[in-house]
Amino acid sequence: MTTTPSYNDVCQLVREPIDVPALIRHVRAPEDGAIVTFDGFVRNQSHNRPTLYLDYEAYESMAIAKMREIAAELHEKFSIHCVAIVHRLGRLEIGETSVFIAASAPHRAAAFDACRFAIDTLKRTVPIWKKEYFEDGAVWADGELPPAPAATSHAKPAS
Amino acid sequence: MATVSQSTRLKVLFFGRLKDLIGQAEDSVNSADAATIEQLFAHYAAGNPELAKYRPSLVASRNQEFVAWDTPLHPGDEVAFLPPVSGG
Repeated sequence: MTTTPSYNDVCQLVREPIDVPALIRHVRAPEDGAIVTFDGFVRNQSHNRPTLYLDYEAYESMAIAKMREIAAELHEKFSIHCVAIVHRLGRLEIGETSVFIAASAPHRAAAFDACRFAIDTLKRTVPIWKKEYFEDGAVWADGELPPAPAATSHAKPAS
Repeated sequence: MATVSQSTRLKVLFFGRLKDLIGQAEDSVNSADAATIEQLFAHYAAGNPELAKYRPSLVASRNQEFVAWDTPLHPGDEVAFLPPVSGG
């Protein structure tokens, strides 16, 4: 079951540049004392081959659902106030932000822990793929296989 | 979601390198042709040995949840075959 965030969290896929200052403002509240952010952006090389640009695609409806699951899990695990998780899709140039995460909390430890957990989990479980374009062609980036059940123990109820 | 429940078909989605391999992002299959996720994949792999090789490095989803390969399918289900994810 997908838990709807009830903390004013933001989970979005966007095709325009990510508005980083707006997201930081969004998670910031008077009762907080810390915001930790993660800014993932396009590197100019991959395994020492110069990268021209990247193209991201997603299974959009499932990706949003998985991002919301991460946000809900953050609230269960860490004493945070609010989180924003935004991933950009489409063609991104070198240096452009592809993923941005901001977590606010009354105290810094929870914000650091939540931000780290969020990006690590996103990279393992959210169905987003990047294609790397080089001078001599393009390849789908190596990725991580999301954890899935090995076998059904018994017939599951329809969701 | 509720609106597709009367369909007799399965919606099948391919992403990343699978989409390139299959040559399409989306397909529709009669639900009588595949009782499980595994059978649905076999339906495509039968005519595509290159695709069959990817079977160990894929996960499948049913209605946007990661599921096991023996998961039964029902009319109206949305199934996706997903290569390793590489967001971030």
